[in-house]
Amino acid sequence: MLANGLFPESLRWQQHLEYERSRFRIEADENFIGGKKMPVINQTGLSKQRVLDTINHRTPDRVPVDFGATAVTGIHASCVAALREHFQLEKRPVKVHEPFQMLGLVEDDLRQALCVDVQGVFRRGTMFGFKTEDWKPWCFNGLEVLVPGKFSTTITPAGDTLIYPGGDLSAKPSGRMPKGFHFFDAIIRQDHFDPDRLNPEDNLEEFQPLTEEDLDEIAADTAAADRGDCALLASFGGTALGDIALVPTPNLADPRGIRDVTEWYISTRSRRDYIHQIFSRQVEIGLANLARIHARIGNTIDILFLCGTDFGTQTSSFCSVPTFRELWFPYYKQMCDWIHRNTAWKIFKHSCGSSERFYESFIEAGIDVINPVQCSAVGMDPEFLKSKYGDRLVFWGGGIDTQHILPFGTPSEVREQVLRRCEIFSKNGGFVFNAVHNVQAGTPVANIVAMIEAVKEFNGEA
Amino acid sequence: MADLKKLHDAVLNGDAKTAVAVTQEAIAEKMNPAALITEAMIPAMAEVGRLYECEEYFVPELLLAGRAMKGALELLRPLLAESGAKPTGHVVIGAVKGDLHDIGKNLVASMLEGGGFEVTDLGADVAPEKFVSAIQEKRPQIVCLSALLTVTMPAMKRTIAALKQAGVRDRVKVLVGGAPVTPEYAKEIGADGYGENASVAVTLARQICAGVPGFGDGKYRFNSVKIV
Repeated sequence: MLANGLFPESLRWQQHLEYERSRFRIEADENFIGGKKMPVINQTGLSKQRVLDTINHRTPDRVPVDFGATAVTGIHASCVAALREHFQLEKRPVKVHEPFQMLGLVEDDLRQALCVDVQGVFRRGTMFGFKTEDWKPWCFNGLEVLVPGKFSTTITPAGDTLIYPGGDLSAKPSGRMPKGFHFFDAIIRQDHFDPDRLNPEDNLEEFQPLTEEDLDEIAADTAAADRGDCALLASFGGTALGDIALVPTPNLADPRGIRDVTEWYISTRSRRDYIHQIFSRQVEIGLANLARIHARIGNTIDILFLCGTDFGTQTSSFCSVPTFRELWFPYYKQMCDWIHRNTAWKIFKHSCGSSERFYESFIEAGIDVINPVQCSAVGMDPEFLKSKYGDRLVFWGGGIDTQHILPFGTPSEVREQVLRRCEIFSKNGGFVFNAVHNVQAGTPVANIVAMIEAVKEFNGEA
Repeated sequence: MADLKKLHDAVLNGDAKTAVAVTQEAIAEKMNPAALITEAMIPAMAEVGRLYECEEYFVPELLLAGRAMKGALELLRPLLAESGAKPTGHVVIGAVKGDLHDIGKNLVASMLEGGGFEVTDLGADVAPEKFVSAIQEKRPQIVCLSALLTVTMPAMKRTIAALKQAGVRDRVKVLVGGAPVTPEYAKEIGADGYGENASVAVTLARQICAGVPGFGDGKYRFNSVKIV
């Protein structure tokens, strides 16, 4: 077996070479991963096994770690750059693989330094609709990074950066980064609509059947990620039900339907029939796509990122449990039932904030993994969560508070909280260490390193 | 005769069409515009706040009620100005520099308006100097700062510093709020109050204005403003 875990004669090897060529524009050969020659690593797949153990509620050999496998367990590009410098890794600009939140790609060398056990499989299309290809240099806040070739921006007179859907500068901008700040926010482009003439198809434009090209890309990228070492967590998209980050569709040039965040929230109260129509059709398309994906990749992936809709706020929730059960639950159950019947994938659900009141419903629907486990929100005490749900939900996150301790605390405070959270959440498996959501810009590298070192300490590796 | 109970219930239930229709009827009948506010809309929004605090109402219900209230208020504003009716107080509100998230701030603004306050909403991504100008121009009693993000919280401190530098800090009470904001942070940056939600913000604003001569009972009660 080669360092990348593949065999030269296999189809997956050919797919791997194609992946390397397209991503890094090199003539790839054996032992190349991420454009760089890698030593033989982790042939026995310990990382994958420990993740599989923990997501099946068995005690793993140590607490597994995720940084960078999803768009909600990642690290801001500026922090990735700082970490690369800290660990004295090869000097090269960070790739911004998720431009909406400006998340940096955690490449293999950094993944090793952070002892990460999970590899993400992403769609090539980003939230702004262009693909992660044809990398080009870009500078923001003094940091040189690489961005996708169609990452197209203009600057307002006030110095804010505007970004355009699909890189189309003739369209209205769909995202804005205030001057001196660190990520984009969606620009709401809500045309006037007649509330008596709403057409659910207008809110389904972004949910389409996959093309053969899409499937080829998914298969190639999954194969390339499958090196036998890490567990694979895939974000294929299309199954997020009313994820408010996606409602404004920053990827579309001319969104129609309800695209205003306030109007969407109002619709969950006053236009439920309309929402039902959207979700029903969206699930139909989403499951058909998942079936086709599964036909191509089988159980190569271990976990599927199903949905990022937030149901919690800092102190409460966006709706009552009865509303959730009426409006969302049937569709989550439908998707989870299909996935569990037809695949071996575990199902990952993200929900920020005070979300505990929905956990029983999530479990009943078939959700296996919950993220980000925002313990700073009301009702989200870690010991309470573990004791009540620990044998039925995998806590993917919750490792360190990202609102106060990680960005503003001392390294000692970070260490203390990480050790405590690992102690609480890791009993009998069911825990993958990650910060609570992405590591934000401005987080001191000393604190991030303290977090990593604390996990190693807990795992007996310090 | 326009039914104030119907207006009250329309605001409470987020029924903007009915709220506007009843208000139009009341205006046609030359009802006292202040009466619609004090006898229907303020009690309705107070009940909305109570239902939100006890988690029977959530963000969507607040947004709907706020929309119904605003629809009615838009019709009454010109008439209120003519009649010389005084608001409960004047609040300037905005999301601080760098923060584009405004739903929470909008909810607070709606609840304050529904509570009888005059509100100057500066929007989102508001520079400190814009808060300074608003204080100099509008002479509010209260300034509300909102931040949803950890990375924009420091802008609250910079805004308060800008108010001090401009010599206007002592003219206002500064209330802060937003998901990552805590009472401890509010104290650390020198704010006067912290509201964990829109309803608390209105309560604090009322306490503040009750201590200002010319409003409420006129007793000076700034010292009783509570940092929750």
